[in-house]
Amino acid sequence: MRNFHGIIFAYHAQPELRELTAARTAASLPFCGRYRLIDFPLSSLRNAGILNVGVIMQRDYQSLLDHIGSGKAWDMSRKTGGLRMLPPFGLPEYHTGDYNGTVEALNAVSTYIRDIEEEWVVLMLGNMAANIDLQAVIHQHLETGADATAICADHTPMGVHHRYILGEDGFVERIALYREGESEGVASLEGYIVRKDQLVDIMDRCRAENLFLFHRHAVNMFLQDGGRLGVYIHPGYANAIKTVEQYYKVSMDMLKTANRRQLFPADRPVRTKEHEEVSTYYGENAVIRNSLIADNCIIDGEVENCILFSGARVEAGAKLRDCIIMRGCVIGKDVELDCVISDKYASFGPGVKLTGNSKLPTVVPKGTKI
Amino acid sequence: MKKSCIAMLLAGGQGSRLYALTQNVAKPSVPFGGKYRIIDFPLSNCANSGIDTVGVLTQYRPLQLNSYIGTGQPWDLDATDGGVFILPPYLGAGEKGSWFTGTANAIYQNLAFIENYDPENVLILSGDHIYKMDYAKMLEEHIKQDAACTLAVLTVSLEEATRFGMLNLREDGFVGEFEEKPQHPKSDLASMGIYIFNWKKLREYLIADENDPNSSKDFGKNIIPKMIDAGERLWPYRFDGYWRDVGTITSLWDANMDMLSTTVINLYDPAWPINSRSPICPPQYIGEKAKVIHSIVTEGCDIEGHVENSVLSPSVRVEEDAKVIYSVVMPGAVIEKGAVVEYAIIGENTVVEAGAHVGAEPDGTAEWGVATCGPDIRIRGGAQVPAAAMIYTGEEV
Repeated sequence: MRNFHGIIFAYHAQPELRELTAARTAASLPFCGRYRLIDFPLSSLRNAGILNVGVIMQRDYQSLLDHIGSGKAWDMSRKTGGLRMLPPFGLPEYHTGDYNGTVEALNAVSTYIRDIEEEWVVLMLGNMAANIDLQAVIHQHLETGADATAICADHTPMGVHHRYILGEDGFVERIALYREGESEGVASLEGYIVRKDQLVDIMDRCRAENLFLFHRHAVNMFLQDGGRLGVYIHPGYANAIKTVEQYYKVSMDMLKTANRRQLFPADRPVRTKEHEEVSTYYGENAVIRNSLIADNCIIDGEVENCILFSGARVEAGAKLRDCIIMRGCVIGKDVELDCVISDKYASFGPGVKLTGNSKLPTVVPKGTKI
Repeated sequence: MKKSCIAMLLAGGQGSRLYALTQNVAKPSVPFGGKYRIIDFPLSNCANSGIDTVGVLTQYRPLQLNSYIGTGQPWDLDATDGGVFILPPYLGAGEKGSWFTGTANAIYQNLAFIENYDPENVLILSGDHIYKMDYAKMLEEHIKQDAACTLAVLTVSLEEATRFGMLNLREDGFVGEFEEKPQHPKSDLASMGIYIFNWKKLREYLIADENDPNSSKDFGKNIIPKMIDAGERLWPYRFDGYWRDVGTITSLWDANMDMLSTTVINLYDPAWPINSRSPICPPQYIGEKAKVIHSIVTEGCDIEGHVENSVLSPSVRVEEDAKVIYSVVMPGAVIEKGAVVEYAIIGENTVVEAGAHVGAEPDGTAEWGVATCGPDIRIRGGAQVPAAAMIYTGEEV
């Protein structure tokens, strides 16, 4: 869509993701057998025809770069415009590369933001598992004549989030910061449409006053200016992933067909980098129940309530229950795993037994050999 | 730009012995082995062998094939100084246009394309074979033997020999005779329809053959015999891997079943990937009551029923209590609740409604065969499609 430019925040390190983000950002977390979390905002933008997109990165972005490549999978490898990866070295004052907040992250790439030619900017979170229909958001945004529109959930998502309380005119009256669980107002999914000039103006003022938090500082500044902030309610699944527990819960939610249909609707496909191209083989001894299984696996064991990424090998006699097994893991004979998240290329020798808890799944770091 | 070897892939055949499956598409774009279409095999072999320029000769219903091949990017064949080129028959200025009248004529009509690359050698391939083959090794032997033509050959039993073009060798190891489907074969070396020609030589023979009014403009029937008669050096390149011609329903079904065994053909070898243009789908979901044994299943599938000894393409749905046994199910097909599909091929997007039954177990009779439903058909609930049936798109069942 012309006149709209996408910005994705993919810099969040999220220490609560522990070993899972040892060498990657939350946005490049492997998800649902074949995806990375950033595929959601990238695909939402692509499906709305927004192909000029900047991705703000900070540290440990190698896996992100590797995944996104030229942006071809999202049709964002263009002759004019297209995808731009924005590492933290745009301006001398941000050479340390640590962002204290989203506004600071925006200021670190302010030369890029200033050069945006489109009238509107769409801001999105890189670690939000939601398939947002941006075409509908934009339609509503233009129809209501709002100065900016916040994308919000039709439910209360997991974990700490911000909420918007609406006035009688349907626009946001005030923001309630850092809430958890049900309370007044609607939950923000941290996606926004905002006029580029207004964004730059607020960025500049925040910088002058040494303010760096998006919701506490920038949104409040916008509201105090009398800005009319509309709210778009996203009908469907949405959860940000900031902790191991959330990652596990959201992953397991995908085993429910209703949730999966909301995140992967046929008319708004989630696009991702293509991997090798071979089907999965189920052997004579395979027993599979309620599981999502990517291609290029060879499975001859028992798999129940699991998510298996591409290249997994599950040998006869192995039993997997409630596990997430990432790319290229080898599960040997008679291995028993329960509530385990196994990061890429881990291998389990014959007979290994490992048990976690759904509140605290055991994370086996990348490349571990047991 | 001069190339050592470019490939010309013959993909224009109708594949008439696949009946309903090639009613609307060319044979090379028929789905195969789960994630693939038949043409993925020669295209991937080219890329893996370091051949970066491939002309694909299309003629029969090429729409799907054209869009499938696209820029050639899925096979890493989108090179800046080569790539994949779709070559349909065309009309020249002031000429009467014509369809390709034979395999040799198809290449003849594209002399200009080949000369663009001024290659030393030209590899001629078919778009309907399933195999993994390193053409670079064949080219190496071709150059070493200073052959005018090198033919890939396979050892077959004498019974099988009557279905192939058979080669009889001279004492020096070169080809001395080529017999098309001989009644009484004299050797066990069958031509696989894969040739590397010295381009200068091939060019001469193509032009001469084009001017021969009695020629049927075919490589096997005309070009190869003429080269032998002229005393050219034709070298047999022996291939001992898996190779199948999937020109018939039975051979297509058999070859699909072969994909279930990595000892027959290993598709999981990272050193020789077979690539394809894949749809964008979530991983396959295997439900609470599903049973999936000795089968290959791929992305986008939703399995709640029973799948055994079968090959499923992307986005196939098998509902609760449905059974798919010894069958090949092509992309987007739906097997509804309680339906049974056994010893069958189900075409793309065909729906087998609840309670329908397609195919039957082998009963030892000569009439038995694999039941086939073409694409985009609805097999109504309660319908019984017998063994060896052939259901065409548009038929009411």
